[in-house]
Amino acid sequence: MENAEHAHGAGSKKLFLAVWIALLVITGIEVVLSYQYLALKVMLGLLMTLSIVKAALIISYFMHLRYERRSLVLTLMPALIFVIAMMFVVFPDSIRLYLMRPR
Amino acid sequence: MAEAHAPTAHAQHAPQGFIRKYIFSLDHKVIGKQYYFLALFSVFVGLLLSILMRWHLVWPDAHIPLLDKLSPVGAPGGLMTPEYYLSLMTMHGTIMIFFVLTTAPQSGFGNYFLPIQIGAEDMAFPRLNMLSFWVTLAALLTLLSSFFVSDGPPLAGWTAYPPLSAVGSVSGPGEGLGQDLWVISIALFCVGALLGALNFIATTLELRTRGMKLMRLPLTCWAWFITAIVGLLSFAVLFAAGVLLLLDRVGGTSFFVPAGLIVSDKILSNHSGGSPLLYQHLFWFFGHPEVYIAILPGMGITSHILSCFSRKPIFGYRAMTYSLMAIGFLSFTVWGHHMFVSGMSPYTAFAFSVMTMAIGVPSAIKTFNWLGTLWGGRLRLTTAMLFSIGFVSLFVSGGLSGLFLAQPPVDVNLHATYFVVGHFHLVMGVAAIFAMFGGTFYWFPKMFGRMMNETLGKIHFWLTFVGVYAIFMPMHYLGVEGNVRRYSTFIDDFMQPLLPVHKFMSIWAFIVGGAQLIFIFNLFWSMFKGEKAGINPWESTSLEWTVPSPPPHDNFAGKIPVVYHGPYEYGVPGAEKDYIMQDSPEVVAESH
Amino acid sequence: MASHEAVSIPGATESVWSGGASPYAVVPKKLGMWLFILSDAITFAALIVAYSYVRVASENWPRPFALWPSIVNATVMTVVLLTSSVTMVMAVRAAKLEMRKAAAGWMVATLSGGILFDILHVREWLGLIDEGVRLFKNPWGAPMFGASFFALTGLHMLHVTIGVVYLAVVAACIARGKLTSDDVEVSGLYWHFVDLVWMFLFPLIYLMSAKTA
Repeated sequence: MENAEHAHGAGSKKLFLAVWIALLVITGIEVVLSYQYLALKVMLGLLMTLSIVKAALIISYFMHLRYERRSLVLTLMPALIFVIAMMFVVFPDSIRLYLMRPR
Repeated sequence: MAEAHAPTAHAQHAPQGFIRKYIFSLDHKVIGKQYYFLALFSVFVGLLLSILMRWHLVWPDAHIPLLDKLSPVGAPGGLMTPEYYLSLMTMHGTIMIFFVLTTAPQSGFGNYFLPIQIGAEDMAFPRLNMLSFWVTLAALLTLLSSFFVSDGPPLAGWTAYPPLSAVGSVSGPGEGLGQDLWVISIALFCVGALLGALNFIATTLELRTRGMKLMRLPLTCWAWFITAIVGLLSFAVLFAAGVLLLLDRVGGTSFFVPAGLIVSDKILSNHSGGSPLLYQHLFWFFGHPEVYIAILPGMGITSHILSCFSRKPIFGYRAMTYSLMAIGFLSFTVWGHHMFVSGMSPYTAFAFSVMTMAIGVPSAIKTFNWLGTLWGGRLRLTTAMLFSIGFVSLFVSGGLSGLFLAQPPVDVNLHATYFVVGHFHLVMGVAAIFAMFGGTFYWFPKMFGRMMNETLGKIHFWLTFVGVYAIFMPMHYLGVEGNVRRYSTFIDDFMQPLLPVHKFMSIWAFIVGGAQLIFIFNLFWSMFKGEKAGINPWESTSLEWTVPSPPPHDNFAGKIPVVYHGPYEYGVPGAEKDYIMQDSPEVVAESH
Repeated sequence: MASHEAVSIPGATESVWSGGASPYAVVPKKLGMWLFILSDAITFAALIVAYSYVRVASENWPRPFALWPSIVNATVMTVVLLTSSVTMVMAVRAAKLEMRKAAAGWMVATLSGGILFDILHVREWLGLIDEGVRLFKNPWGAPMFGASFFALTGLHMLHVTIGVVYLAVVAACIARGKLTSDDVEVSGLYWHFVDLVWMFLFPLIYLMSAKTA
């Protein structure tokens, strides 16, 4: 039974609270992290990694995607990741703009 | 067996009153026709603009009658200013790209025939469908209204590159309210296109009838489906670009405007910190998928028609679907080839160049499969078939020059010339238009219950076919000779000798423009006076040819078909007839 | 619209992709909302890329957000939004169990979170405007700071506000016995998406611009 119904059993209330607490803890870590003296790139990398973890938690549990058929995940996520990855192609130009600025 | 879906509580009753039936209709067939006629109106506006431009290009001193009525400022005494020429060019491009090429083959034919071809009673979200149309109409009216504001329409081209488009009326007439209206129109169009796209995707995935496996979908449906995916992913980016451009214009931000810009001999002091290159990236991130949004449905329609009138299965059905997917995928990886002269990083330009040449592979697969379908077929040269063969011809002619332009060193020389104009008009503009003509002649009997006149259709085809080559082929020559595009007159010495070529093209443009009146006459005359059409006049196999012409309100009168066959079973050995309908339970030893 | 719950398919070889069934076993409007979310996520991604592009290209990008009030305020906003997501989940759960009143109640809690988020955010905006931040200038450095801040957070706030109205309509209908648990779930998807976008805006806009020294 791949249907979503079983996910609404009584036990899942606990699960949602656990996810909520995890999200709050990660948020706290992010805030603390932003006050550490780290290189900007390292900080950005860490913050984005944590944010992706948070997004994954929200998508999997709150938005329920973990309990849908795998085919729905495979329909949506590759497209999103592909398009966002392609957008990163603009950054070489942005870095050039910074480096070629007259100083 | 035929009633796989039990009749539901939502059993559809045709709405009665005129308004609910024809204006605010939820029926995908009515909405499809609405889109079709919206595109038909738009294409004639766009055509008229191009004729005005060709007129002015070769007779720059001619006073064009009535033009001064439309714009006393832009064309005093009927003599258009260079800026007004650019305005007409901008409007021609915008109307043609968005409201014709994006609208007719996808939203028009797709809306009408996707649900019927997959055996559904309607689209997945009929209300959303109606909303998409009305938002699109609002977008068109917003765009056209810029003709009537004091400064006239914008002049920044259909691509609306900043800084020209971002800094307001200081940069030229039409760059005030006209450009604002343009941006709002395009943002609205994005909303309509996004809603339409998600509706198409959900419909194709969810509402196929029993037996309609993915590999039994007609190639038209595959094309509409993949176009919808490409649209869903790319219009979202254009929307973002539009929001930021509007903010730059009305909010005073500078996302796309650098510091220290000199416009009309004045330094713009109120902008700094942005980059026009960013806009180009965002725009073409949408813009290149957009050209495939324009052409993919045409490919689907052409495949469908070629197979039917060759009386042969489509050559390489699977290869056709995979190449459609490959084109849809690759269309997101090539946008930089529009920006080789923009100052983009040369390393990225190299990558884009390679990807652009790679997209030639699935395109070539399609071309060879079309030729393979024709090879040895028992051709029935109806007008629809002629237009489809014309599509293949134009797609090849226009596509080959794309391989030139894919290479940065060549493109740098050709980019600002008529070579590019010739290229994209052939491969995207006219080819897609030919697919629309083909689709019109093929599906007209189903949509209106009558046949179009074949004699008029063939006269129209030959005039148009010869004419578009006469117009757009010389453009390649002009481009190689260095004839700059976007100029309203050719006063430079080196361009003067090219003027006779322009005259030749302009005269053909008038002939082709006139030939379209034959089509319009044929369309409307046949709608009322044409010969009555049977259920399946072309002996075609897909599901729309199993229902009356025109189909009833819920398409199948409650009897949802079950599909047993692929879409292109023509000339099957051992079958009763020359062809097997998709919903026919007839069993023959499958050949594949 | 005909309902298209999975129809049992005769013959073991036929897959869910053979037609006559929803391949994902979801109602079409749920798939529709997912597709909308996909495209809206791409719009936000494009805006974030634009912001990053401008920021990378700029010198002297300001980092003006002090721990108090800005970072604390934004953290509280994050907590509010996350909590409203949990109440939304509870609403969906109640709706599935046909407890309509409870579902409507949880939804009201959710949209109250949205309103609180908006209020906190507007207060933040007004504070910044007071300090002289505009769309085209700010007291600290790169002029595009204000533009990108207001554009991104403004569009997100617009999404929150639309979500509040959307949830209010669905909650009212659910309480009156109209609509189904599917509609609650679909509106929940939208709400979680708004939450999800904030998970990226919060670190990128606030934390990456926190005043550390």
